[in-house]
Amino acid sequence: MYHSVEVDGVDHQLWLSPCQSGSYHLHLRDHVISPVAFAQYGENSGVLTIAGETERVRFVIEGDLIHVHIRGMTRVLRYSDPLRTLACVKQEESSLITRAPMPGVVVTIAVSPGQPVSAGAALMMIESMKLETVIRSSQDGVVDRIHFKEGESFEREAVLITLSKERR
Amino acid sequence: MHTMPFDTVLIANRGEIAARIIKTLRKLGLRSAVVYDEVDARSPAVSMADTAILISGHTPIAAYLDIAQIIAAAHKAGAGAVHPGYGFLSEQAQFATAVIKAGIAFIGPAPETIELMGDKIRARNFVQSNGFPVAQSAIEEDDPATFVSRARAIGTPLLVKPSGGAGGKGMRIVRDVDALEGAIEQARSEGQRYFGDHRLYVERYIENPRHIEVQVLGDSFGNIVHLFERECSVQRRFQKIIEEAPSPALSPELRKRVCETAVGIARAANYQNAGTVEFIFDAGEFYFLEMNTRLQVEHPVTEMITGIDLVAEQVYATAGRELGFAQSDIVSNGHAIEVRLYAEAPERGYVPTSGKVLLLEYPSGVRIDSGITQGQQITTAFDPMLAKIIAHSPTRTLATATANHAIQGVILLGCETNASFLARILSDESFVRGQFHTGYLEENPHIAAGNPATGLSAFLASAALLTRQVRESADAVPALHASLGHWRN
Repeated sequence: MYHSVEVDGVDHQLWLSPCQSGSYHLHLRDHVISPVAFAQYGENSGVLTIAGETERVRFVIEGDLIHVHIRGMTRVLRYSDPLRTLACVKQEESSLITRAPMPGVVVTIAVSPGQPVSAGAALMMIESMKLETVIRSSQDGVVDRIHFKEGESFEREAVLITLSKERR
Repeated sequence: MHTMPFDTVLIANRGEIAARIIKTLRKLGLRSAVVYDEVDARSPAVSMADTAILISGHTPIAAYLDIAQIIAAAHKAGAGAVHPGYGFLSEQAQFATAVIKAGIAFIGPAPETIELMGDKIRARNFVQSNGFPVAQSAIEEDDPATFVSRARAIGTPLLVKPSGGAGGKGMRIVRDVDALEGAIEQARSEGQRYFGDHRLYVERYIENPRHIEVQVLGDSFGNIVHLFERECSVQRRFQKIIEEAPSPALSPELRKRVCETAVGIARAANYQNAGTVEFIFDAGEFYFLEMNTRLQVEHPVTEMITGIDLVAEQVYATAGRELGFAQSDIVSNGHAIEVRLYAEAPERGYVPTSGKVLLLEYPSGVRIDSGITQGQQITTAFDPMLAKIIAHSPTRTLATATANHAIQGVILLGCETNASFLARILSDESFVRGQFHTGYLEENPHIAAGNPATGLSAFLASAALLTRQVRESADAVPALHASLGHWRN
C-alpha cells in the first residue's frame, strides 16, 4: 500500500518493504532505495542509513507533521494517513463533518451555506506551515455550516465545515 | 571595579540585541532592566535581565516605541542610563532628549548629533561642506522649481530617496529619464507614509557598488578612533544578510583612506559614543552614504577582529570616561564573518515565516547572538531576525568554512528559516573569492531559489521510517515472506 507524504506542496507516494533485519527497501514512485534504516537516539535525534551512507537526523513529530533536519537543511513533511481517509468513507455520519488535518488559517471559502456540493468538490483553501491546501468534500451533500471565516485560525482536528444530507 | 555614575541600565529593545547588551552589563558589574511586550515574555532577554517590566501598545511594535512607558519603566527599575539598542527608538533624537530630561543618561551620542545625522539631506550637506566625498545629487528643497531639471542633468541611472528614509524604504531606481517624475511622486508618497516626511533628493545611482562602513568611537574628551571597516555588500532589497571584517575589496591604502575619512566626519560632528559611517565604494572611490548614530546589527565582526567590546565602550563613553586606548593600540586580527538567521523563506521570495520553536540547538566554536529560545513562538510582529552566527578565524577562507559549518549545525525546528540559503551563499564561488557587490543576490537568483530536490530522498526515508503507520504496514508483510523463505529451504 502506498502512503502519501507531502513536502513543499508536492505529494510523494512511498512505501516500505522489509529488507534484512531492521532495515527496509524504500519504494518511491519511480525507483527503490535500499537498504534504509533508522536508529533513534533520544527523543529528537537518530541516525538514518540510506544506501550505505549514514546521516545524523534531528526531528520533531507534531501530529501529522514531521520536522526534519539533515545536513543543514530543514524540511517539514506531512504524512496523510490512508486509514483515516478510509474510516471517514465508512462512517456516514462523521463524513458530514470536515475536520482540519493540521492547524492553520482559512485563506478562502469556496462555498456558502445551502449550496449543494458533490464528493471531491473544493470547500475551502487553508494555509498551514506556509503550504496551501484545498479542503474537499468527502461526499455529496448540502453545506450546512461554515465554522470559520476567511483569515481565522484553527487548531488541528477543528470542525471546518458541516454538511447535511438533504436540502432543507 | 570602576565606579560608574549609574548602577542599573534599562534596555529599550528586545531580541538578540537586548540579550547581548545584558551580557556586557553583567561583565561590567551593572544591573540590567528590560522592557518587554507580552509576546516576548518567554524571550531570552526577559529571563536574563535582573528586572523585566511589561509594557503594552496597540501592536507589539508600538509598545517598544512608547517613550513615556519606557521612561516610567526606567524610573521604576531605578535605571541611571538607557541603552536603545538598534532600530526602534535608537535614532530618534526626541527619545534621547526625553531620557536626558528625565534625569537619565542616554547611551548614545548627543541628541543634536542624532538629529543632524538622522536628516539625510542635512547630514549629506554637512559631510560635503566639510570636504568629504558624496555622490552627485540634487536636493529638492534647495530650489523645488528646478528639482526635476537638476535631477535630469545628473544623468541616469538615478536613485530617488526620501530625506527621512532608512533601510531602503521608499528608494527608487530610475534608469529611463522619462520615468523620473513618476518615481518622484511614488517616493514622495512612500516617504510621507513611512517617515511622515515628503522631502526628497535624487542621487546618481552607482550600479553594483560595495557597501563598506567604518566603526568609530568617540569620548567626551574629543578623542575619536576608528575600529576598521565592515563589508556589508551581501544584501537583498537593501537588507544586509552577511557581513564581514576586514573587507576583501580594500588594499591597505584604500582601508587607511576610508577609515581616516570616517574619523574626519565623526570629528567634524564632535561625535561622542559608538557610531558607523556608511560608504558606497566603486572603482576605488568612496562616497558618504549615511552615518548611523547607534550600535549596528553587525557590530560583532568588529568586536571579533579588534577584541574590543563595543557595548562596554558605549557605557564608558556615557559614563564620561576617557577612551582607554589610542588609534595605534587598535589592531585588526584575523577575519570575522557574521550571518543573519532570519525567519523567512528565500526560496519563496523571502516571505516571512512563523511558528513555535520546537527544537533549538546552536553549534559550538562560534559566537552566537540569539534572541530566541526553545518553546518560543516566532511571530511576524517584528523584524524577522532571530539570531546571528559569528565566525572568527585567522583567514577569510577559514572564517567562511567555519561559518558554513556552523550554520549547517543550527538546529531550529518549528519555524522555517533562511539557514540553508546562508549555507548556499557561503558555498558560492563568487562569495568564496570575495567578489560580490550589492546586486550579487539579484544577479544570482539560483542562490535564493535553491534546489528543491537536494537531499530529498533522505528526508522521505526519514519520514517513512519515523511514521508508525508506514513501518507497521511494512512489518505486516514479513510474516508471509518469512514463511515463504522456510518453504523454499
